[in-house]
Amino acid sequence: MMPDPTQEGKGQTKEWKPDVDMPVVYFQGVSKSYGRIHALSNITLGLSGGVTGILGMNGAGKSTLFKLLMGKLKPSAGEIRLFGTDPWKNPAPYAKVGFVPEHEKMHDWMTALDFVSTFARLHGMTREKANQEAARVLDFVGLSDVANKQIGKFSKGMRQRAKIAHALVNDPQLIVLDEPLQGCDPLARTTVMNVIRELGKMGRTVLVSSHILNEIERITEQIIILHQGKLVALGNLHAIRERLDEIPHTIRIVGKDARSLAKDILEHPAVFGLSFPSDTELLIQTYHFGSLHAELPGLIVNNGHEVTLIDNPDDDLESLLGHLTGGGA
Amino acid sequence: MSEKPTIWRALDRKAMAVAEFTLRQQRKRLSTWVVMGVGFLAMAVLTMFYIDSMLREFDAIDNDGDSRDFDMDGYPNGQENLYGTDILDPESHPGLLDPPVAPDDPSKWINEDGFDIDSLADGSYGYDDDGDCRTEDKTNSQRDTNNNNIPCDVQIYSEFYSNNAIINGDNDVDEDPDEDAYAKESIHRAFVLALGKFGFVFLIGIFVPLFMATGLIRDEMSSGTMHYMLSKPIARSEVFLYRIMGFLGLAWPYMTGMVVLAALVTGFFGPSDGFFRFSDLGVWMAVLLASLLSLLVYAMLFCLLGVLWKHGIILALPFAAWELGMILTTLGAPDAAILRFSVIGWAMNIVDAGAALTWTDTSLLIALGLWAGGNNSGSSYESSEPLTGSLALEIFASDSGLGMTPLVTIVVSVCVMLFQAATFWFVGGALFKSKEID
Repeated sequence: MMPDPTQEGKGQTKEWKPDVDMPVVYFQGVSKSYGRIHALSNITLGLSGGVTGILGMNGAGKSTLFKLLMGKLKPSAGEIRLFGTDPWKNPAPYAKVGFVPEHEKMHDWMTALDFVSTFARLHGMTREKANQEAARVLDFVGLSDVANKQIGKFSKGMRQRAKIAHALVNDPQLIVLDEPLQGCDPLARTTVMNVIRELGKMGRTVLVSSHILNEIERITEQIIILHQGKLVALGNLHAIRERLDEIPHTIRIVGKDARSLAKDILEHPAVFGLSFPSDTELLIQTYHFGSLHAELPGLIVNNGHEVTLIDNPDDDLESLLGHLTGGGA
Repeated sequence: MSEKPTIWRALDRKAMAVAEFTLRQQRKRLSTWVVMGVGFLAMAVLTMFYIDSMLREFDAIDNDGDSRDFDMDGYPNGQENLYGTDILDPESHPGLLDPPVAPDDPSKWINEDGFDIDSLADGSYGYDDDGDCRTEDKTNSQRDTNNNNIPCDVQIYSEFYSNNAIINGDNDVDEDPDEDAYAKESIHRAFVLALGKFGFVFLIGIFVPLFMATGLIRDEMSSGTMHYMLSKPIARSEVFLYRIMGFLGLAWPYMTGMVVLAALVTGFFGPSDGFFRFSDLGVWMAVLLASLLSLLVYAMLFCLLGVLWKHGIILALPFAAWELGMILTTLGAPDAAILRFSVIGWAMNIVDAGAALTWTDTSLLIALGLWAGGNNSGSSYESSEPLTGSLALEIFASDSGLGMTPLVTIVVSVCVMLFQAATFWFVGGALFKSKEID
């Protein structure tokens, strides 16, 4: 309860001894419910190092998971450890954590530099050090030229990057980003993705949530899929896909002459069904999505077909979830 | 600059970062300036009434009737009394004495025998300014009608049971005070106390924190911006404390400025022999101390209520009403035990103790105003109604309720208020710690 007399960034005067044997993020049988609504049920996972994508539809429990991890919410059951410490009871591990909340609301009246350096001082930095560090991270996220502009005048992408700078200012070991790509324009999206990949390369543990599979795919292959508060899959995205090979996938091709293309494609052993919604459109049914997808471009080019679009209508989170939860696409 | 770690260097990190942030955040809000502006205007309007009463003339009343001339011989009764001639016989007047005395202008006998209100104390007091008691025509017993063996004085003593001042004057001593001087002195004191107690300590002390401190934590929790602060290694009770510090960083200078301004205005307009009335500074210092402490305690409490419930301001309003009841209680019954369960009761103790240290004679001033020359005077003619200002002063001045010496009262009350603030901080921090933030 007492304020920190040394003001050096220790949350409490109580000595904090990180448990070195623990993974960075550790959930053991964690549930969180609001009355009758179960936001999360029985989540068990441990994470250390690398970039991990948390996938889930809106309301799947991604933000709840993060808020539990950041000690904002108290778990209804189970045990959470952040660097081996219960985050609900002790804010000390935040010294090694950076958190980007999903909320759009920011302190619009501050400049980006003010925003980042003010909160940097909560890590026990002096004013000068905080300014230095803030300038450094703003440069890292590509905001150095607007560092002295008010956040209220920023675009959504710039705001997201300012939030990321705020989270990175203490050079954290663990970075938690809640929907960092939401509302970003393509350019900002690329910048944010590069920043996240860069952090992964630097050996930090990064947790990033999204409800769009493609986004996560471009950042990392290690994913966790949440659905209705339950953890439905955890591991490499391709491995998860492989497991789904027995499930039929659809590939949609749009080209000049769909019927002549169909003739050539039908020879491929993986294909088990074709249909023509229109003269220029071809839908292919396959059980071996991975192999067919890899060979398809060669097949088209070798036979001299003109194709304007290859699309996987099934390859989004909804159908993936559908397969994983056994409902079928 | 040396990098030696000092406490200030250390505080410049977390504490100052949050406090500075809070201060700047409040400064950017329009509502802050509206609340402060309204507070200033309210105090300014009150002060206008005060300035008006200081600038006007209070009618002089001939309390004892000796400016009259009953026998129409051209000599006012007072002058005839002084020279021992018959006030009812036109053939008897000082003009027939040897040497003859010219008649006085009757206005000279309206406020001819006022009490000296600069320094009052128990004991023998008073001087027969107009000489109608000291006159040689009177016998010693006529000069000492209050039987204290001191001729021509006013005896002031405290009643044994009630501690009320009892005033017993010899006939014709101090029987016709100067209404204007008395009214200005007592209205001045009453206003300083009223503005200090109701204006600064109560109105500003409660309403500024009510509007500005209730949301210190709550607003950030509702809008989601609290996440930025709480994802840093800082305990929530620390955030609570430092946010209050930031609030006080704005509210304390504001309060200090207003009190200093009020002290200057009343200093220049108040009754005094010189250019500026320095004699109230002690009271203003007590008012400042009490109001700064009440800002602190109320800010802690209202911030706590905001954390407790989303609509904490609804919880704060009945409390403000309770405090209003308590401040009214301090006026009539400053020693009521229920006042111990309020914040304002302790703040009032500080103001009253400060006033007791600065104006040692207030209760006597009130008593004299109510006595108004007394109706035991032999030549009493007009009714001795309380003098203007004495009732106002009686309302706003009260003894501090602890029954200790003023200095001890101040020390004890400051400690109690600091303890209240610490308790609210402790509870508020614990509540905040147990809150889930979405």
